[in-house]
Amino acid sequence: MARQLNILVVDDDAENAASIADLFAADNHRVIIAYDGQQAVDAYAAHKFDVGFFDVMMPVKNGVESFLEIRHFNPEAQIYFMTGYSESELLDRARAGGAMGVFSKPTDPIQLLDIVEKQAA
Amino acid sequence: MLESKRKNEGDYAKFLEQVIDSLPVPIYVKDAETRFVFSNKHHDALIGRSEDELIGKSDADFYSADATKVFFALDMNVIKTGEVSIVEEINHSTDGIARPVASHKARMVLPDGSTYLVGTNFDITEIKKREEQYRALAETVPVGVIQFEENGSVSFANPLLLASFNFGTEEHTLSSFHEALGKPIGFPGDASRQECELTDHKGHSRRVLVISSGWLYLAKGGKRSAIVSVVDISENAELKRINDEVSRLNKDLASSVQQLKDAQEALVKKGRMEQMGQLTATIAHELRNPMGAIRTAAFVLGRKLQDKGMGVEQQVQRINNGIGRCDAIITQLLDFSRTKKVSAQPGDLDAWLVRIVEEEAKRLADCITVSCVLGLGGQMVPFDQTRLQRAIINLISNASEAMVGNGDKPLENSSAEPRIEVATLIEGEFAIISVTDNGPGMSAEVLAKTRDPLFTTKSFGTGLGVPAIEQIAVQHGGELQIKSSPGEGASFILRLPLVQQLAEEAA
Repeated sequence: MARQLNILVVDDDAENAASIADLFAADNHRVIIAYDGQQAVDAYAAHKFDVGFFDVMMPVKNGVESFLEIRHFNPEAQIYFMTGYSESELLDRARAGGAMGVFSKPTDPIQLLDIVEKQAA
Repeated sequence: MLESKRKNEGDYAKFLEQVIDSLPVPIYVKDAETRFVFSNKHHDALIGRSEDELIGKSDADFYSADATKVFFALDMNVIKTGEVSIVEEINHSTDGIARPVASHKARMVLPDGSTYLVGTNFDITEIKKREEQYRALAETVPVGVIQFEENGSVSFANPLLLASFNFGTEEHTLSSFHEALGKPIGFPGDASRQECELTDHKGHSRRVLVISSGWLYLAKGGKRSAIVSVVDISENAELKRINDEVSRLNKDLASSVQQLKDAQEALVKKGRMEQMGQLTATIAHELRNPMGAIRTAAFVLGRKLQDKGMGVEQQVQRINNGIGRCDAIITQLLDFSRTKKVSAQPGDLDAWLVRIVEEEAKRLADCITVSCVLGLGGQMVPFDQTRLQRAIINLISNASEAMVGNGDKPLENSSAEPRIEVATLIEGEFAIISVTDNGPGMSAEVLAKTRDPLFTTKSFGTGLGVPAIEQIAVQHGGELQIKSSPGEGASFILRLPLVQQLAEEAA
C-alpha cells in the first residue's frame, strides 16, 4: 500500500495549482498550495514535504530562486519544475542546482502521477 | 579701243586721268621742288582742296612749319636717292579731321630726265581701329597671349603673360618658351591645343592649356608668325580633383547611408522579432497555465467517471487532443519568433534521427511507407535536440498531410503508394537531412510563398510551420532548401553545419 505523501504545489495560477492539487488529492495525498516563491520557501521552512512541484515564473520570488534557497536549508528537497516556456537560463540554473526534473505546461497528469507514485512506493 | 585712244594723244591723257580719278586711292605727283603737279579726285578729297587749289603749291601752303619740315625731308630723300618711303602719317584735312594714312612715296624719272615724286595715301583709319581693337583684346583677355616670329623672337606679349607666367620680356624667345613647357622644338607647328606643365624661370610650375594658331603668314616677305595663348588651368585641375574627391566621398556616403538603412531595417526587423518573441512567450506562458488546468481537470474528471460507466472517455480524449493541438500551435509560434540562440550539443544525428522518425511513423496513416537512408556514418553533429525534433516532426507531418490530408487514404492528386523518405548525408561542411515525399508537389507560385509566414494551403494550421522550421535551421547556422514541382513530390532539405557556428541571435 502506497503511503500518503506531503506535496507542495507552487503556482501563481490558482486554477492550475488547484487542478494539480485535485489530481494528487484524488490519490489521498496531502497537498498544500503556495502562490509565489516566498510562500514556497516559508512552507518548506515550516513543514516537511516529500515532493514539490514548482512553477518557474512567479511574482515576489521566482521558482528557481526559492528552490535554491530551500536546497540551502533542505539539501534533500525533491523538487520538480513546471514551466510554460521550457527554454530559459533559469531552468539551466535549476538543473545545475539539483532539480529533479522539468515538465512542460500543460503538464501531463500521467507523468506527474508517475513521480508521486514512485515516491510513495 | 585702247589702240584708237592712243592714236589721239589728247584723248588718251583724258582717258588716263579718268582712270586715275576712278581709283579708290589718293594719288598725287610732286615735282623735284615738292610742288604738286597732279592730284586725283581722292587726293583732293583727302586734303580737302580742289586740284586747282593744289597745283603749284607745296606742303608749306597747307601744313604747319614743323610738319612741313618733316614732309620736305622725306620727299627730298625719295627724290634724291630713289628709295621708296612707306610711313604712317596723320593727315589733317581742311575739314579738321585727322586721319591715319599709310603714305607711300616713290621717285619717277621721265625719259627727259625730269624727276617727280609719286605718292599715295591709303586711309588706314579702319585698319588702325581694328589693330587697336585687337591690341586691346589681347591685353585684356584673361589668358596669356604671345606672338612668335619664325626666327624665334617674341614680337608681342600681353601684360598678363608677363604678370602671371613671368614670360614675355625682351630676352625671351621661342626656345625659352620650349624650355618652360618642356615641349619639342616643332611647336608651335600646326594649330594645336594641349595641356602641359609650364615652369617659369622662377621655378614656379603650374598646369596650363596652350593653344597655338600654328605658323601663319602674318607679315610680308613670306615670314611666318604664330599666336599662342596660355591659359592657367591649375585651378581647373584643382577643381577637377576636388570634384572627383567630392564624387568619391558622395559615393562613399551613399553606400554608408545604404548600410545604415540596411542596418536600421535589420534592427527594426530584429526589434519587431524580439517584441514578437516576448509577446509570444508571454502568451505561451499565460495560455499554458489554463491549458494545464483543463488537461489536469479533464484527467481527474475522466478517472472519477471511469468506474461509473458513463462513457465519457472519448470526450475526455477530445479535450486532451484539443489541448495538444493548442500546445502545438504555441510551440510553432515560439519556434518562429524565438530570437535566442539554440543550445546545440554534438551528437550522433543518425542514431537520434532514426528514433524520432520511427516514433513519428507510428502516428501516420498505415498506407504511408516511411524509410530512412542514413549516410552520416557516425559523424557527430552539433544540434539542439528539442528544436530539431520539432522541425523533423513538422516536416514529416507536412509530408503526410500533403499526401493523405487528415485522413488515412491517399488524396486524389497524390501517389497511390505514399512514401516518405528521410535521408542524411555529408556535403562539404554540412550535414544534410532531407525529408522527401512522393505527394502532389508544389507549383512554382506555391513554392515561392512556402517560406512566407502565415502562408498556408491547408484549411487548418497557422502558416508558421515552414517558417518555424527554417528559423530552427538558421538558428543552427544552417538553412532550409525546398525542392518541388507539380506531380514530382517535394523535398525539404535541412543543411546544418558540422562545425558549431550558431547564429548569435537569429533575426
